[in-house]
Amino acid sequence: MELLKRILYILLYPGLIYCVIGGLILAGIDRKLLARMQKRIGPPILQPFYDFFKLLGKETIVPRNAAKKAFLAAPVIGLISLITVSLFIPVFKFSPFSTYADLIVVIYLLTIPAVALIVGGSASGSPYAGVGISREMVAIISYELPMVVSLLAIAKKVGLALNNGVMTFSLSQIVEYQAQNGPLFTKLSIIPAFIAMLLVIPCKVGSLPFDIAEAEIEICEGPLVEYSGAPLAIFKLNHAIKMLVMTSLFVTLFLSGAGTGILAIDAVIQFILMLVVMFFSITLLKAITARLRVEQTLKFYWTYPTALAILSLILVYFGL
Amino acid sequence: MKFPYLKEAVKSLFSKPSTENFPKEVKEAPEGYRGKIAFYPEKCVNCGMCIRVCAPGAITRTIEKVEDGDKITFQFYMGQCTFCQLCQDFCARKAIELTKDYLMIAEDEEDLMVRGTFIKKAPPKPPVPPAKPATTATNSAENKKEEVKSE
Amino acid sequence: MFEKLIQKGLEKSAWLYHLNTGSCNGCDIELVSVITPRYDAERFGFKIAGSPRHADIIVVSGPITSQSRDRLIRTLAQVPDPKVVVSLGSCPRSCNVFNGSYCVEGPLDKYTPIDVAIAGCPPKPEAIMAGLVRAVEILKEKRRAMK
Repeated sequence: MELLKRILYILLYPGLIYCVIGGLILAGIDRKLLARMQKRIGPPILQPFYDFFKLLGKETIVPRNAAKKAFLAAPVIGLISLITVSLFIPVFKFSPFSTYADLIVVIYLLTIPAVALIVGGSASGSPYAGVGISREMVAIISYELPMVVSLLAIAKKVGLALNNGVMTFSLSQIVEYQAQNGPLFTKLSIIPAFIAMLLVIPCKVGSLPFDIAEAEIEICEGPLVEYSGAPLAIFKLNHAIKMLVMTSLFVTLFLSGAGTGILAIDAVIQFILMLVVMFFSITLLKAITARLRVEQTLKFYWTYPTALAILSLILVYFGL
Repeated sequence: MKFPYLKEAVKSLFSKPSTENFPKEVKEAPEGYRGKIAFYPEKCVNCGMCIRVCAPGAITRTIEKVEDGDKITFQFYMGQCTFCQLCQDFCARKAIELTKDYLMIAEDEEDLMVRGTFIKKAPPKPPVPPAKPATTATNSAENKKEEVKSE
Repeated sequence: MFEKLIQKGLEKSAWLYHLNTGSCNGCDIELVSVITPRYDAERFGFKIAGSPRHADIIVVSGPITSQSRDRLIRTLAQVPDPKVVVSLGSCPRSCNVFNGSYCVEGPLDKYTPIDVAIAGCPPKPEAIMAGLVRAVEILKEKRRAMK
């Protein structure tokens, strides 16, 4: 019975099917809102689904000088790791796979899609992909630092209250803290980390001011340049699910609480909160900014968001 | 950091989109638009001026002999036209007109052709063979006006 | 069932790859204006893709110059099936005013069959959109023929 439940979790709600459908709908709403902000009608909300099925119906070309196995396996590895991350993120108090240190697991697993992109790009043997993967590495270096520091601030803050002053890396404990004391973003010491994390999301999902790795106009979508057909469809799916996972993680970290106790209602509330987060961090930013250069991205992330995250960590240590 | 389009973006999110509903309502082209060529063969006198002024050479003429004159076909190839309107301007009889029709989509080359055929009657044989070649030239010029043109 | 979804996807999401083979930039500007707010081809799912590997519709503009001929052939070979070739404007169809020039090796149908021709010099954005909609129908037919 327990096993059956677990399989159901993996396949259905926080797992595969929810990730695919939720991610694609989120991406569709993002495109629609972006179009409306540019005074266009925009594509239908189901547009990412159409893109996905179309790409499945296309021919898959493997370039002659590509490493075939790595080229075809990379998108699948990224997809699997993203779905695994989604299993670890609690939806209010519902956390099927949460353990002691799942925040560490989440940090590591969230890096794998970017690594998969690098592996796939370097396996394709295209010079554009080479430029793309070097930029992707710079992006990883840029956003990891503020992200980890702000997660540390949260871990310390929750640990001070629930774990005798030792940092806690359990997401379910973070939710537990928020259920007792209200959402984390209302705490004065966490507000800088909240802003830093909001700024990390666009680079993590590769949306406009920080999409240096997949710059469509400059380097023809970088690592994806040689992909076609089904692998490209999975990479586009990865992109959508990354959006879902990042916003979902953000909601769990900062806007969570006790919830209603009924899973269906909680899931809907979570999704609406994710939409709000997506609107402010991804869509609005995409509509009003142009792409930054590589070194500008690095400079930006290592100044403002890192400073905010460290400020937050210091404030937490002072017990605010 | 400045975000100059923040206000604009939020404002347009709640306002009507400025997109035209194209395939449902096809707008008419503006005044003076140079679109697909219309050729009126009944007005044409076969002077050949349009062929001479056409830079890309989109106009071709074929002449066939029939019993009572020449069967002349003008062919305008829209896939080669630059829509410069010179043929319309130079046509003395206003037999060529650039319409406002701009939807020229074809899977087949034939759909891009505009053709017009007319029969130019041969000049009636003079009763007496002319003494000087100069008179024949004036005769044929006069005959042009009397021609009966038909499709 | 799956085939039906793919057909629906092909109908609603065709990505363009714009190939300039020595065009005068008139057609290029008009093609870009198709994705502006006024015409907004994205509501039919059209998107300009950066790489020929992602494309379904290849839009060729310009007479084929001798410099761009090899690139044209290589780019067309890189596009995965099913694909549709659209000639934009008069130039790829017949070389237009450049016909007979020493450096022009057109027209396009020497190298590939043209599926849809959009005439005009340059065509209006509306005409381009109507041409692309026609191209999508041909794309679907080609997918059916592939099976």
